[in-house]
Amino acid sequence: MIYLDNASTTYPKPSTVLSAMERYMRECGVSPGRGGYSAANDAERMVADVRRKLTQLVSGSDPAHMVFTGSCTDALNLALHGVLREGDHVITTMLEHNSVSRPLETLRARGMITLTRVAFNSDGFIDPADIAAAITPQTRLIAVSHASNVIGTIQPVAEVGKIAAEHGAYYLLDAAQTVGVVDIDVAAWHVDLLAFPAHKELLGPPGLGALYVGSNVEIAAYRQGGTGADSAHPVQPDEWPAHLEAGTPNTVGIAGLAAALAALNPAKALAHIRTMLARFEEGVSEVERVRNVCPAPIDARVGTCALIIDGMDAEDVGAVLDESFDIAARAGLHCAPYTHRVLGTFPAGALRISPGPFTTAQEIDAAVNAIREVAASA
Amino acid sequence: MAGVLYGGGAAVSVGWHLGWFRAYNRCLMSAFSAREPRDQYSGDGKPAEAASGIADGTAAPDRYSRQVLFEPIGDAGQQRLLNSRVTLIGCGALGTVIASTLVRAGIGNVRICDRDYIEFNNLQRQVLFDEDDIARNLPKAVAAADKLRRINSGVAVEPLVTDVNIDNIERLVADADVILDGTDNFETRYLINDIAIKLGKPWVYGAVIGATGLVMPVIPGQTACLRCVFESAPPPEMSPTCDTAGVIGPAVNIVASLQCVAAIKILIGSSSEISSTLTNIDTWTGRLTQLNINPVRSDKPCPCCGQRNFEYLTGERTSSTTTLCGRNAVQIRPARSDAAKVDFDAIAAKLATVAREPVARSKFMIKADIGEYTITVFPDGRAIVKGTKLADEARSVYARYIGH
Repeated sequence: MIYLDNASTTYPKPSTVLSAMERYMRECGVSPGRGGYSAANDAERMVADVRRKLTQLVSGSDPAHMVFTGSCTDALNLALHGVLREGDHVITTMLEHNSVSRPLETLRARGMITLTRVAFNSDGFIDPADIAAAITPQTRLIAVSHASNVIGTIQPVAEVGKIAAEHGAYYLLDAAQTVGVVDIDVAAWHVDLLAFPAHKELLGPPGLGALYVGSNVEIAAYRQGGTGADSAHPVQPDEWPAHLEAGTPNTVGIAGLAAALAALNPAKALAHIRTMLARFEEGVSEVERVRNVCPAPIDARVGTCALIIDGMDAEDVGAVLDESFDIAARAGLHCAPYTHRVLGTFPAGALRISPGPFTTAQEIDAAVNAIREVAASA
Repeated sequence: MAGVLYGGGAAVSVGWHLGWFRAYNRCLMSAFSAREPRDQYSGDGKPAEAASGIADGTAAPDRYSRQVLFEPIGDAGQQRLLNSRVTLIGCGALGTVIASTLVRAGIGNVRICDRDYIEFNNLQRQVLFDEDDIARNLPKAVAAADKLRRINSGVAVEPLVTDVNIDNIERLVADADVILDGTDNFETRYLINDIAIKLGKPWVYGAVIGATGLVMPVIPGQTACLRCVFESAPPPEMSPTCDTAGVIGPAVNIVASLQCVAAIKILIGSSSEISSTLTNIDTWTGRLTQLNINPVRSDKPCPCCGQRNFEYLTGERTSSTTTLCGRNAVQIRPARSDAAKVDFDAIAAKLATVAREPVARSKFMIKADIGEYTITVFPDGRAIVKGTKLADEARSVYARYIGH
């Protein structure tokens, strides 16, 4: 299989991640902290270490505010449902994944919030001025995707952060597509809430995400439960991260992520992915009937592009690539319907090609040839 | 068997009987309509109320008299029928005839499972449905139950609007004394075969296409099972469907009637009289052939009844569906994806018989607009059905136009 769906999840994972997970389950495998016996202490130390490393990775200040979640979606829901109050106004963008737009639409449908969604230009970038213009006295949150999961464009998030800080609005950054390949600085960018998954460019396992919460953010826990400590307390403790972490954490996932972080080299990974993406885009650029729906400069994007073949449905192209060429690529709307509306590819969708850190030039060339052959058959 | 094929009663004085019957029928219908509004049906599996007196059968003590007079059934057999329970899977052409026959015969509990809604092209052969049902957009199971309760309010009819799959089949058949096959696809039949063998429950296979049909009762431990005869489903290009090759009503009636004969025999405790036979009927020529199937195979044991390897029930050999990200489209992958490629020429020809526009074709895919759907078929037999996001509906479309 030629795997070009790394924007969904990276595959394969480094073997060190797999062996770390197996080793953890065999040799430790207990709940962290709870109980106080040696193995529990080892687990707690491992979890704390990953928390610290992730905090450093995004230039956070307090590891206790790096909260483990079940996924990036889980982290985003925790942020949105935990922060927003009756009467709040929220500004977001047309680039958002459904993991941001659906919770927001749900809150809007309940009559709890009002929502402004700013568009992006033909190159795939939002204009921070549009966000500034949308601010009202009720604006409590600005929620922005760091990079589009469809076209890969990296957004001017530092400028947006400045606007949020100036107006006293919370700033939520969805770093699903960027953490692990793009440097993130929550302090410099005034990010109050940063959500990301373990299983994309961090090369960790699925079932694990994190939400970094700025120290000044008022956030309510929308679920309560065991924390392994302070059990006499009748309600969820105020201490971080226990405040937002209830239940046994995904320790085996965290063990895998620890191994992934040990080998992580964002700059090198991004350079490789961009080389592969550029090779692909150049390869298909002259192919008749093939159109790259948003060919922004490579150095302003993470590793994903969307294309359509005139005369063919994207789903059919995806199925042909799988069936006849053993190429895995994602067709459809990519959980980003608003993005496709702006791109003019709604509701038909597009084919997304997203190389990863292990994609080879031969694989890209095979994919280009496949696209050429499929387009010729249309 | 000859009686079923050729016997229709004496033709003399039919006109006189018909006139009398119509008059009687008018009285009966007006009595019913006064008590039971047409649009009233209950989906809870209980007989509709009303028609008291007739409902419990006491006002019509001779309802089953002609059948009771038939010696192999008799009073004891009739009592067994009244106390029995069947699950009918599929209520289309075969299913409506089966349901009508069994409810009239006084099978006490009839559960009807079908996921589809009635279309005009069904009326030619699906005997329980009418134009009014289509106007009311009724599911087949519900419309059938509505009619059946008016035919015989003394038995319980339980309509279930549902797909039958690995997750629910055991629940649907666990309490049945016999399972009747009214399906239109091999995959569900293999699923029925698996659960029947697993639970030791008899079932009656039936299939019809054009003017020909097949019937085979399966009695675990006694007869061959479906996989003894057909170890795996034929490829789509080898299996015409009623929607692509057509079917005539008389063939349906005969096949379903033979299924009912087997079911009644099983229910009255005469299973031992059923031999391990596949009956092949060509109603156009009137030719009926019976193939004896040895339940113990000499070459290798049957994977299902021999090795008790229930590959359809575990999902190993069942097709899978994925609702595609984005719009109204479902991808169906037959379990045979790993096997040989399908015959594109044959599939294209099959789809061409029903497509609105000429079928589009490349070496990678065949695309056809059929009704409200667009179907794209790929060389390994998978298909994308556009026009629905419901997996059940897409499966139904696949079964009707491609076949599995």
